[in-house]
Amino acid sequence: MGIDRRTFIQVVTGGVVGSLFTPVIWKSLDDASIWSQNWPWIPRLKYGTITEQASVAKFGAAPCAEIVKSVGGSPYLTRGNAENEMSKGGVDPVSASGPQLMYSPSRVNGPMKKTAEGKYESISWEEAEKILSEKLAAVKGRKGKLAVVSGDATGTATEVLSGFAAGMGAECYLMPSDEQSAAVALSSMGGKGQIGYDLENSDFVLFVGADAMDSWGSVVRNQCIYAESRPTGEEIKTTYLYAGPFQNSTAAAADRWIPVAPGTGAIFCLGLAYHMLKAGASASASDFADFKTLVMSRFSPDKVEKATGVAGTDMAAIAKRIMKSSAPVVVAGSEFAQGVGAADVIAASAVNMLLGRINKEGGMKILPELPKAVEAAAGRSELAAKDFVGYLAGIASGKVAAPAVMMSYEANPIYALPQNTALAQAVEKSGFLVSFSTYMDETASKADLIMPNPTCYERFEDAQTPYGVGSAMLAASAPVAEPLYNSKATVDVVLGVASVLGIDLGYESADEVYQAKAEKAGADWDSLIEGAAYVSDSTESGSIKFAASVLSKAVTMPKGGEIALAPYSKLIIGTPTVAIPPLNVVAISKFELMGKDLMVQVNSKTAKKLGVSEGSKVKLAGAGGECAVRIHINEGVMNDVIAAPLGFGHTAWDAYSSGKGENISKLLTVGTESGTGISVWTSSFVSIA
Amino acid sequence: MEEKRTSKQCGGVLPFFIGVLASLIVGWWVFPQVIYSQKTQPVDFSHKVHVEDEGMDCESCHMFLEDGSFAGLPSNEQCAECHEDILGETEAEEIYVTEYLQKGVEVPWLVYQYQPDNVYFSHKAHEGYECTDCHPDVGNSDTLPTYYENRISGYSKQTMKMWQCERCHAEVGTSNACYVCHK
Repeated sequence: MGIDRRTFIQVVTGGVVGSLFTPVIWKSLDDASIWSQNWPWIPRLKYGTITEQASVAKFGAAPCAEIVKSVGGSPYLTRGNAENEMSKGGVDPVSASGPQLMYSPSRVNGPMKKTAEGKYESISWEEAEKILSEKLAAVKGRKGKLAVVSGDATGTATEVLSGFAAGMGAECYLMPSDEQSAAVALSSMGGKGQIGYDLENSDFVLFVGADAMDSWGSVVRNQCIYAESRPTGEEIKTTYLYAGPFQNSTAAAADRWIPVAPGTGAIFCLGLAYHMLKAGASASASDFADFKTLVMSRFSPDKVEKATGVAGTDMAAIAKRIMKSSAPVVVAGSEFAQGVGAADVIAASAVNMLLGRINKEGGMKILPELPKAVEAAAGRSELAAKDFVGYLAGIASGKVAAPAVMMSYEANPIYALPQNTALAQAVEKSGFLVSFSTYMDETASKADLIMPNPTCYERFEDAQTPYGVGSAMLAASAPVAEPLYNSKATVDVVLGVASVLGIDLGYESADEVYQAKAEKAGADWDSLIEGAAYVSDSTESGSIKFAASVLSKAVTMPKGGEIALAPYSKLIIGTPTVAIPPLNVVAISKFELMGKDLMVQVNSKTAKKLGVSEGSKVKLAGAGGECAVRIHINEGVMNDVIAAPLGFGHTAWDAYSSGKGENISKLLTVGTESGTGISVWTSSFVSIA
Repeated sequence: MEEKRTSKQCGGVLPFFIGVLASLIVGWWVFPQVIYSQKTQPVDFSHKVHVEDEGMDCESCHMFLEDGSFAGLPSNEQCAECHEDILGETEAEEIYVTEYLQKGVEVPWLVYQYQPDNVYFSHKAHEGYECTDCHPDVGNSDTLPTYYENRISGYSKQTMKMWQCERCHAEVGTSNACYVCHK
């Protein structure tokens, strides 16, 4: 029997028919469909032991004590640490994204140097440290040749940088924040230490400008205190008032919003002082008489009404309400956590002094600074008072020489500074820019050398007394996970380079520094890294004065008649250091970002005056630049004010933040506060085209 | 007519049935063997030694955590509680201690019932069942079963299929809604 074509076809047909009665086709189809679950580009879950570890997150604007959950050593979830007093069990919108930010596509994978073509080339840590050491050796001891800036006001890492800068004969600065104004204010009032507010024990809190629910102080702690004081279905323990130009998160949460023109917080406070003095309030300070004369002569109700927009009768009623409270406190700050003058804090402190609320339970506290771990470092308040914006403004105007080397730690000055176009250029004038950024942010994108710091989950970290809290405190954490990339803790880098340059900072590794800090503060290191915070009840004992002479020069009445810009900062839109976390993109309001267009807000009266309507595309022009925006009508904005969110307009980072909206910082106008000389930018005016 | 003759010459319909038979043999006997590759576990672990000789029970290693999640297979950290140094004389223990524990490398155990990432299986919700209702009974075995990996899908032969989950859910009156297993 030969096999011909017909036989072959019969065999094949039989085979095909037979196969229908076997699992071959059906099983193969089923397996092929399941195989599609295992394509190599599909992300896979990691399995392993689930563990929890306390950590101190530095992603947000203020430190946040967290419990980080990990699987097989990889963090995947975080929640607030209720055992830690620093953030009272809360977790803020940026820190909540901590595990996501650890795996961010914007992370810098290892040290890199900029080539002659302007591209980045990966290098080894040995080479990066050699380059940095050589650059620094050339400027050691030469005044003005090195500048260091840190965006971490609470970490001992900044002490290391400050001590290193001192050893180099250079200046170390902090990025601008409300703490700068408070430090200058306290110094002007003859005090030492750090201003804090015992919000949890107060029965009446007046926030002037300070957006406590979104940008002022330790936001997550403020929110927890607010929630504790107003338990659902139970008696309200604390009354909140908010005075500011825009109905922001704090105004929305407060019992009453008092519309007050931007940049007039000090005038508002002194207007309150007028009524209190008239009612017989006094304080035992050496310059009380000068203060009283100043207030009664220059801050009468009619003048205050003209400047702030608050009627005299209303001011009198508010003053009366505060004086009636048993534990009131007045807190002043910027609506966007930077750029406010020391005068605002001095004026609010003056009201607290008239109320007898200094170093009292529920009042304004003058907290001691925790002992330094690095002896050569500047003290906390000394460092905070230094004016980085003023320094850069000097470079921009040509009055100050640009440094040969600038080191940027946990900061993004090229994006986050006011009058952004000019000051970013001032940063870029540095001869050699070194970024220690964890992420490829705007500053890292311009840097000559990038030496990535691991995230706070991958390194030792600590946080001391965040600005605004009512007690001196310290929290610390050990690494939660192994470094994901080829990063190295900046503290270790600086200690190594210092050793090469013959600068003795007293330590050989980061964990030694943090442990020494805890020891000097009197805290138990093991308790700290297990998640507890060290809290001190002590306050500074010295008295403070009204700084009437400073107020006399610093507080001036606005000209009026212009359109004022009221920037605001929301944590879901990121911080000056961290751009919008991926998780938060979906939470951004369409009234803040419509597609890629930034929305700014005006009320209908102002809209009519400006000839714009809902959705109008306009160009805002300020002293420092222009921004293309759309209009949203919101009656929660004062007359003649344009409210605009900060945090958009990134040019670096990733798809979650880059190219979305405009950076309003461009429109902010930097001025100088008379009497203190610090840079201020809460009174910015814009025109519309 | 010519072709009919040819067909008869080749055995009529016989070739067709030969094809059917060959296909059935391949489909039911060869294919099930070829579709799976055979793998052995990285360490020849003996449950018997641990259960019978050391008096351990299943929960000593495969326990629920405080939050109700299931620890699954023990990590080096757990094993090191006893095996920080080599205790016995077996080659398997020596391999484990020198190649994994001392090098800080977790053992890449092959999980017989590994489920896809899109399935959320809660051991706590199935606590009332015997482990061996789903898992091979290895508690008294000196060796570990061969691991059969599907060459197409990449899953273990013993990975439970969705119809098996659904059938059991239907039998005991548990919802078969998508969200019960797929989050």
